[in-house]
Amino acid sequence: MPRRRDEDEEVEDDDYEDQYDEEEEEDDRSSRKRKRSDFIDDAAEEDDDEEEDDDDDEDYGGGGGGGRRPKPKKRGSQFFDLEAQVDSDEDEEEEEGEDDFIVDGGADIPDEDDGRRMHRRPLLSREDEQEDVEALERRIQARYARSSHTEYDEETTDVEQQALLPSVRDPKLWMVKCAIGREREAAVCLMQKCIDRGPEMQIRSAVALDHLKNYIYVEADKEAHVKEACKGLRNIYSQKVMLVPIREMTDVLSVESKAIDLSRDTWVRMKIGNYKGDLAKVVDVDNVRQRVTVKLIPRIDLPALANKLEGRDVAKKKPFVPPPRFMNVDEARELHIRVERRRDQMTGDYFENIGGMLFKDGFLYKNVSMKSISTQNIKPTFDELEKFRSPGENGENDIASLSTLFANRKKGHFMKGDAVIVIKGDLKNLKGWVEKVDEENVHIRPEMKGLPKTLAVNQKELCKYFEPGNHVKVVSGTQEGATGMVVKVEQHVLIILSDTTKEHIHYSITCFPQIRVFADDVVESSEVTTGITKIGDYELHDLVLLDNNSFGVVIRVESEAFQVLKGVPDRPEVALVKLREIKCKLEKKSNVQDKNKNTVSVKDVVRILEGSCKGKQGPVEHIFRGILFIYDRHHLEHAGFICAKATSCVVVGGSRANGGRNGDAYSRFDSLRTPPRIPQSPRRFPRGGPPVDYGGRHRGGRGRHDTLIGATVKIRQGPDKGCKGRVLEVKGQSVRVELEARMKVVTVDRSIISDNVEVSTPYRDAPRYGMGSETPMHPSRTPLHPYMTPMRDAGATPIHDGMRTPMRDRAWNPYTPMSPPRDNWEDGNPASWGTSPQYQPGSPPSRAYEAPTPGSGWANTPGGNYSEAGTPRDSSSGYANAPSPYLPSTPGGQPMTPNSASYLPGTPGGQPMTPGTGGLDVMSPVIGSDNEGPWFMPDILVKVHRPGEDSVGVIREVLPDGSCKVILGSSGNGETITSLPNDIEIVPPRKNDKIKIMGGAQRGATGKLIGVDGTDGIVKVDDTLDVKILDMVILAKLAQP
Amino acid sequence: MFFHIVLERNMQLHPRHFGRNLREHLVSKLMKDVEGTCSGRHGFVVAITGVDSIGKGLIRDGTGFVTFPVKYQCVVFRPFKGEILEAVVTMVNKMGFFAEAGPVQIFVSNHLIPDDMEFQSGDMPNYTTSDGSVKIQKDSEVRLKIIGTRVDATEIFCIGTIKDDFLGVINDPTAV
Repeated sequence: MPRRRDEDEEVEDDDYEDQYDEEEEEDDRSSRKRKRSDFIDDAAEEDDDEEEDDDDDEDYGGGGGGGRRPKPKKRGSQFFDLEAQVDSDEDEEEEEGEDDFIVDGGADIPDEDDGRRMHRRPLLSREDEQEDVEALERRIQARYARSSHTEYDEETTDVEQQALLPSVRDPKLWMVKCAIGREREAAVCLMQKCIDRGPEMQIRSAVALDHLKNYIYVEADKEAHVKEACKGLRNIYSQKVMLVPIREMTDVLSVESKAIDLSRDTWVRMKIGNYKGDLAKVVDVDNVRQRVTVKLIPRIDLPALANKLEGRDVAKKKPFVPPPRFMNVDEARELHIRVERRRDQMTGDYFENIGGMLFKDGFLYKNVSMKSISTQNIKPTFDELEKFRSPGENGENDIASLSTLFANRKKGHFMKGDAVIVIKGDLKNLKGWVEKVDEENVHIRPEMKGLPKTLAVNQKELCKYFEPGNHVKVVSGTQEGATGMVVKVEQHVLIILSDTTKEHIHYSITCFPQIRVFADDVVESSEVTTGITKIGDYELHDLVLLDNNSFGVVIRVESEAFQVLKGVPDRPEVALVKLREIKCKLEKKSNVQDKNKNTVSVKDVVRILEGSCKGKQGPVEHIFRGILFIYDRHHLEHAGFICAKATSCVVVGGSRANGGRNGDAYSRFDSLRTPPRIPQSPRRFPRGGPPVDYGGRHRGGRGRHDTLIGATVKIRQGPDKGCKGRVLEVKGQSVRVELEARMKVVTVDRSIISDNVEVSTPYRDAPRYGMGSETPMHPSRTPLHPYMTPMRDAGATPIHDGMRTPMRDRAWNPYTPMSPPRDNWEDGNPASWGTSPQYQPGSPPSRAYEAPTPGSGWANTPGGNYSEAGTPRDSSSGYANAPSPYLPSTPGGQPMTPNSASYLPGTPGGQPMTPGTGGLDVMSPVIGSDNEGPWFMPDILVKVHRPGEDSVGVIREVLPDGSCKVILGSSGNGETITSLPNDIEIVPPRKNDKIKIMGGAQRGATGKLIGVDGTDGIVKVDDTLDVKILDMVILAKLAQP
Repeated sequence: MFFHIVLERNMQLHPRHFGRNLREHLVSKLMKDVEGTCSGRHGFVVAITGVDSIGKGLIRDGTGFVTFPVKYQCVVFRPFKGEILEAVVTMVNKMGFFAEAGPVQIFVSNHLIPDDMEFQSGDMPNYTTSDGSVKIQKDSEVRLKIIGTRVDATEIFCIGTIKDDFLGVINDPTAV
């Protein structure tokens, strides 16, 4: 590299740096520099000569035979050199400046001065620079006009560039140690020396890199030349000269390419200092000086600043960064901070100047180096953008800043077919569709006629375009995954009505106040999703137990967290919880009593009588600790969930899950209770001669109990595998199925029957099978009896009526108009089948009930079973008798969705028609909601209802048919009678009573009731000494021995 | 918009219904199964107006059920984008109001309510113009334009606007 040229550049460089350096540093260096700048012109002249030389050189040299490198190379490095230096210059300076600014500026330089400097400098240097730049331009023009390589930049290609790489014949680069902080000085000294000594100096160039402390680079052919040159210079320690390997030579002088397209109103982030990571808006760009003025929300500790300005001691490094806050001038004045109001000469705007910092409208205006901001991939959040809207700003220029947001968006943003609108340039407001996407340009098919078929538009000038009514999906941002309909497009804000929550998602492209996500993040979609609805094991609308033993319903699933509506009845309390903060899902199905002591279970429709949500009404989704979670679809907050105390609600239209379990029902139906409910196995009845009322009861009970009843199912496992039949009865986990092909009734586990092959009758007209006409149910405390008898019908499953629909009275009820007599269906079913003599129930059934309740009973997907519909029936299995129909039930057995199948018949392949409004939830049976309910056990205290009197007794033995041997008298010393479960009622334990657990995993265990909380009892189990919270329903008072 | 169309469906009938009243059974079952349902293509089936033909029944193996292809005429209701509907307001809240036109639920966002109408909370939340001359509250009848529809398996949900000429309240229950 011809050293002179290089030196020349360096001088120029230094020169204009000097012009402002001098002002701030009044040290002896300046005089020296002055001296140096004196000879700049000489140098330039000389350089021109040199230039000619070079040209000659090239003419004859061609391949660069001498010690010199080919010319383009030189130019290249020169170019780099200059840029690198200028850059680094600024950087260094800016760092100084910044420190002064914020933290410890006051330490040595008086702040007033500092401020003045900061303020004055741009003004002065601007003019000077202007000249300077022009001069520089002229010089460069003059210098390169003759050159054949003027358009170096444009013409260069990779191959050419390759050719420029240093080879062994080129001069080497040496790294020489120098005094820290004197790198530049050292380089300049070398240059000076060269000029002074002329040709006897054999080094070719000296480079000081700003990012490299303690070293300078010297270009020379031999190490000796370097040492020679460095001799006598006090800043350079030439004892140690290191050779830079050829391969690394280019790296030394290469500059990171950064084609940053910084323009005003661009959003950037600060990279260093107190403001690191903060969002800033570019208000002014000085491309020459590589500086930008940015607008920031100040992080200023006013008291500390006041202290500093008054010269008091300030801790050097504050342990924390003050939070961003708008500068309040009055506040500052109160702290006796001097606030000057000045007019910026360039823009004419007024700024408040506090301690050298400029403020306007509360924002800090800061001049920083381009290096200290990052411009790529800036994704301001809505909060940040909102903060940036100061009161005075009315968002007019938002569009402009919007476009800058797009400048940095990621690739692949536009897809073919996207509707777009041009937001910048001549074609502004032209709509079109994306046809093709190149690197930068997007080819769009314009909407308007008379234009070329496709237009190439820079993607920065495009914005996605949506119209109200479009169905869209958010593809990034916090609302990612959600879909919704565009309600309104306000310039660049889209307001979306989410499909799931029916909440408005405000969603935008600019910084309007409603911003939630950027429009960039939206694509049009026909998909109806709810976004993510599941993280881990937890799903939307699950009841979960949280860390701190509180609980709630998941009302929204965000990308990493859940929004949980807590079980606090008084006011809606929503918590944002992370996955790990959730302990478990609560799937317990329990019952509570409402205000009128009616039993409420899941899916019952209740009305809230007290509290903020008074008057609301909806089905109960979850019950826990006496708290109901009610889903009201008209309730728009919290995804429609309302949390209320059970005692402040009333059941509307009777409890669905357990028709007559409460006392009222009992008394009301007492007279209807039929004596023949003798716990005899139906098999004992002679075939064809069942008691009359048996059939009636059978039917009644069946009718009410489950939508599964009457359904045609297929048995999937066991000896009857493949057989198809109608469900006669559902009892807990067991299902009695009347096999069509065999004239026989078998009892199988619910989990081993296939999803309904067909449900013959949707028993939707059930009301008349409701309370009035049907078999009375059991007293409130004894919901248990039927469980004991496999053959016992009726009330076995209090799950019965999926069909009691809260919606059925709505005008739009598809089912009201027609009501084919259900009896017809039932009549076709000979009751005698139920008493088929072959039928041998095997093992006692109770085991079946031990199984934990299968998971949440109702399936979320009504469509889940459609595929089953067309399954051809496999009727191959023979008449092999079922030895033990009681297969152990499978915990978590397949949840049934009898509802869906009811719409199947005869639509193979075709889209099944779906039930009308509200049909779905209504139909979903809460399978197993009560199976873990209690049944009798020995040694518990019960109340026995006998004609004429009620007396207390102790169960001694539970007979296989479900009836109990009861010894009358509270201590078990009276006469022994045999009672039907119907007539027995458990004596609810009180606090401190000894109890026996009649259901759940702990069945059979004894313990002590140490407290009662609503419907839950706190039990200390004797064996394990564990304290458990159990439903009171499954607790029975233990008889004292 | 309402349409009177012919649809076809395969009905399965239990053998017990075979007899004189087979046709009646079939029709009543068809009505029960079909009326009130909703499909994305046709919208809500409002009513069956007639049965065109009942094809030959096919006995399904093993079950004894018989499948009849049934052609029936029915009235369907399907909302379209851009359609003008009259609907009854069912709920008003600060985000807008819900209205129902038959089986269809329509949401009118507050962004799609004329700007001069403001939300008034209280016992009876409503949207009222500044001079109080127009009021939208529960049970008001409004004429609105559908700007978007979303079809689920079981319902059709629409978004409407009343921010257009000749749209808005057409009958105010309180004014009477």
